[in-house]
Amino acid sequence: MRYIAAIVLALALATPATMARADSHIDASVNFIDQLANQAIGSLTDKSITAEKRRDEFRKLFRDGFAVNGIARFVAGRYWRKASDAERTEYLSLFEDVIVNTWADRFSLYSGQKFEVRGGIDATPEKSKQNVALVKSWFFTSLTSSVQIEWRVASKDDLFKIIDVKLEGISMATTQRDEFNSVVSKSGRTLSSLIKELRTRRDG
Amino acid sequence: MLNSVSDFRFFRFVMALTLMVAVSACAMQSSEGDPDARAAYDEANDPFEPANRMVFGANVMVDQLVLQPVAVTYRDLFPDELKIPVQNFITNLFTPLSFLHALLQGDMDRAERAAASFFTALPTFLLADTFPDENPVFEDAGQTLAIWGFEEGPYIMLPLLGPSSVRATIGTVTNFFVDPVGIVAGSGVTIGRAAGNAVVKRSRDIEQVRELQRTSLDYYAAVRSLYRQQRAAKIRNGAGTPVQSGPTIGLDLDQPSPGEGKEETPVTK
Repeated sequence: MRYIAAIVLALALATPATMARADSHIDASVNFIDQLANQAIGSLTDKSITAEKRRDEFRKLFRDGFAVNGIARFVAGRYWRKASDAERTEYLSLFEDVIVNTWADRFSLYSGQKFEVRGGIDATPEKSKQNVALVKSWFFTSLTSSVQIEWRVASKDDLFKIIDVKLEGISMATTQRDEFNSVVSKSGRTLSSLIKELRTRRDG
Repeated sequence: MLNSVSDFRFFRFVMALTLMVAVSACAMQSSEGDPDARAAYDEANDPFEPANRMVFGANVMVDQLVLQPVAVTYRDLFPDELKIPVQNFITNLFTPLSFLHALLQGDMDRAERAAASFFTALPTFLLADTFPDENPVFEDAGQTLAIWGFEEGPYIMLPLLGPSSVRATIGTVTNFFVDPVGIVAGSGVTIGRAAGNAVVKRSRDIEQVRELQRTSLDYYAAVRSLYRQQRAAKIRNGAGTPVQSGPTIGLDLDQPSPGEGKEETPVTK
């Protein structure tokens, strides 16, 4: 009887251990999001820093934490292929600027709302060279409402990058891509027409 | 299932509006010859776009003049403690419809949950959320049609009712006739429920909508994309495989190399 108990115990201990090894990128991705969120709250929400400084800090975190170029290329859609190198370079830098301008200032509005990371699941596509994890989190905007935020984190060895953010099931990358597609299809159908729009957005 | 004259009147009203949109919108000319333009046109799946944009413009105006002020008032002046029962009441009033459609979709689990939430909330006059830890079940005729294999069809911007598709519009009209709440309590209740739901929902995203309007390059296209994603998630009941539910984006460690475009196709398509 004691042997059976020992075997059962051994099995129970062994199974999660092997599973954890196979899915170690998930835990690491969860930690990655947790740390990034703490860093963002730490360095961006201080109300005494200037808007300029906040944008600089945000840009740093954005570059560190997100696959900026991969996302930019995805949202440019089919127009990326035909664009020249110069256009691509300008587009990438404009894309980053617009994101920074849109998001950085929002962190000044933060006033201690709770942000909670609640684990992740594997979302690696078949035949993928990188691991992908979906990290689930909640942001509590008030007592009666919260926003579900899902982070799609790609990783390879020690490198972790966010490749998409989903708010209440809505993918930011997909939305941006659909919107850019509509803009481009109405004005010239080239990346340069999108560049023009983005420039107006950044400078305007 | 017509239970009153007003049902029929409302039905005629919706049909007339839908027809107006369909007729006034001569299908947008797609540029032939250019495969990229063709692909973009097909992907947008919005042949009535010129008319849709017009209706959208009118809807945005109605929103700014009526819905948003009401929603802001509700958000700021209505006591927080009372918002929860109001939300519950509206959600619970949708459960009979959800029950019916879960059955039609063959989803016994969700049908059971819809029935359970309705009957356990009855003693509290539908004011309580008896399953606070779970997302409420919400099913409608549009989702049932999707489960049955009907294609979504082109995007349609309905006057006042907002973003829709051919399939979802047929669903909206169907719901009006098969909704148990409408049959038992009359269409006034379902219209009131819809109005209340609109205010409560709108009150939660005042800032987000403002932000989207301010930051989007093409507000109409952004809303179209949001609608489609939300609808697809509802049809899947938030399930679906995590792999399918996101775009494929490479880690992209290096600078972009010319001619490389593998990351452009989302897995969902």
